[in-house]
Amino acid sequence: MNNSSSYISDSPLAKEFWSMGKSVSCPIYDLHGHMGDYPPIFMPKSDLTAMIETMDDCGVKLLVFSHHLALLTPDLGNQASIEAVKQYPDRLRSYMVFHPKYPEMISETWKTFEKYPEVFVGLKFHPDIHEVPLTDPRFKPAFEYANTHKLIVLSHTWGTSIYNGYKEVNVIAQEYPRIKLLLGHCLHAEWQSATQLAHDFPNVYLELTAVFDDRGAIETLVSGVGSDKVIFGTDLPWFDPHHAIGALLSADITDEDRHNIFHRNAEKLLAPYL
Amino acid sequence: MEFFDCNVHFGYPTKGSVAPVGSISKLIESIRKAGIYKALVWHITQHDASPQVGNKLLSDAIQPYPNLYGCWTLLPTQTGELPPPEVFFAQMKTARIVALRTFPRSHLYPLNRLSFGKWLDPMIDLRIPIILSLRRGCEWQDIYLLLSEFPDLLCIICDHGCWGMDRLFRPLLEQYPNVYIDTAQYFVDGGIEALVNDIGYERILFGSGFPESYFGGIMLMLKHARINDEAKSAIANGNLERILSEVKL
Repeated sequence: MNNSSSYISDSPLAKEFWSMGKSVSCPIYDLHGHMGDYPPIFMPKSDLTAMIETMDDCGVKLLVFSHHLALLTPDLGNQASIEAVKQYPDRLRSYMVFHPKYPEMISETWKTFEKYPEVFVGLKFHPDIHEVPLTDPRFKPAFEYANTHKLIVLSHTWGTSIYNGYKEVNVIAQEYPRIKLLLGHCLHAEWQSATQLAHDFPNVYLELTAVFDDRGAIETLVSGVGSDKVIFGTDLPWFDPHHAIGALLSADITDEDRHNIFHRNAEKLLAPYL
Repeated sequence: MEFFDCNVHFGYPTKGSVAPVGSISKLIESIRKAGIYKALVWHITQHDASPQVGNKLLSDAIQPYPNLYGCWTLLPTQTGELPPPEVFFAQMKTARIVALRTFPRSHLYPLNRLSFGKWLDPMIDLRIPIILSLRRGCEWQDIYLLLSEFPDLLCIICDHGCWGMDRLFRPLLEQYPNVYIDTAQYFVDGGIEALVNDIGYERILFGSGFPESYFGGIMLMLKHARINDEAKSAIANGNLERILSEVKL
């Protein structure tokens, strides 16, 4: 029998999420999502309707995402993201995917971005997928545009990567101080390096997607730089938000930290767009 | 809900880790805090350093804790590094060891009839589970080969990966009735619901992967999964309780 008086931890937030699956006082802002199929992965809830159902179940108030088609199918660009946000304008915002290998698309990319201010809150880079380092000149137009307009940029980052590891992020963060740079996956597994970057640069934030399955990483990030630089994300529809929430509730941090991570930091970042 | 965790270890890894749980007392404290009522545990030394030393560290550590059950590690019979199977199985019963783990890639042997037949044939008769982790010392082709030679083996596949691995494990579940998967790293959105809907809940076991993973992730997921309470209870503890009740040591 379970002789414990509570599950996961004895924090008030843990009790509320355990009981209800969501929290009235603690809405979730997920700043790293996708949508649609992804070839190597079985994802049973990747369509728009199913994702909204998951968001409702988990108390996710807003998801900022980039459609997989925008990442993988340059022919279609960001159209699928635009259509999804138009269907659920109160629940979704999108990042505009910038593809560095097609310079002929750049001017159209910015036109689309400016045409839909109700859709886009920033840019999404995935150097590992597109196989172009963040420091490559082909990314320069996008960084200059984002820096000029003080945009949020979510970039995939990974500790072992030659495209988006510590060295590349360090250069970019110095060169473009006006962008709000979200390190997707926090340089996965190089938690100390990610913490150092967030400490060194006021414009660098740590985004938690895929961090939740490495116990101790959350504590490392929060103790290293403070919870006001840490942003919640899940890769939905890849990962169930309840898994991420449960991990954050398990971590040895305070409920104040959790409020910062679940919603307060995102509310500040997104304030100009909502 | 009551949680019986099939996938927990303790001890200090040779190469370090972000947050190891070095002692059994720390493990017990973590389990209590999370609300886990039973666990099937092993010691990291069984993989990292020595199955013989690790097996003993494990069984010595769990003895005072009746809510902990152990998994020892096997090696091929031909090198004589472990006692003969009949002696080994008798020692398991005394030490509250109810399942066995193998790490073929790390300990350098083929997990097949030639090297492991003398273990696996009696394990089938005795209904002793073999636990294989994709996170450590085992790959999918090892499991496919093993089950092709031992289709009746009671096999628990753990840590199968967070990247939606249904295409790899569903054929095994379909073909072999004694194959189970655990939930550690199974957090693709809607994965558990889809699997329960397609094949039922009887082949899924709650496992956390602690201390490399947080307890709370899978616990909260399962608590609020869109499956009925009977399925949740079976996954959380019932399926593993049934499996272990059928072990004939």
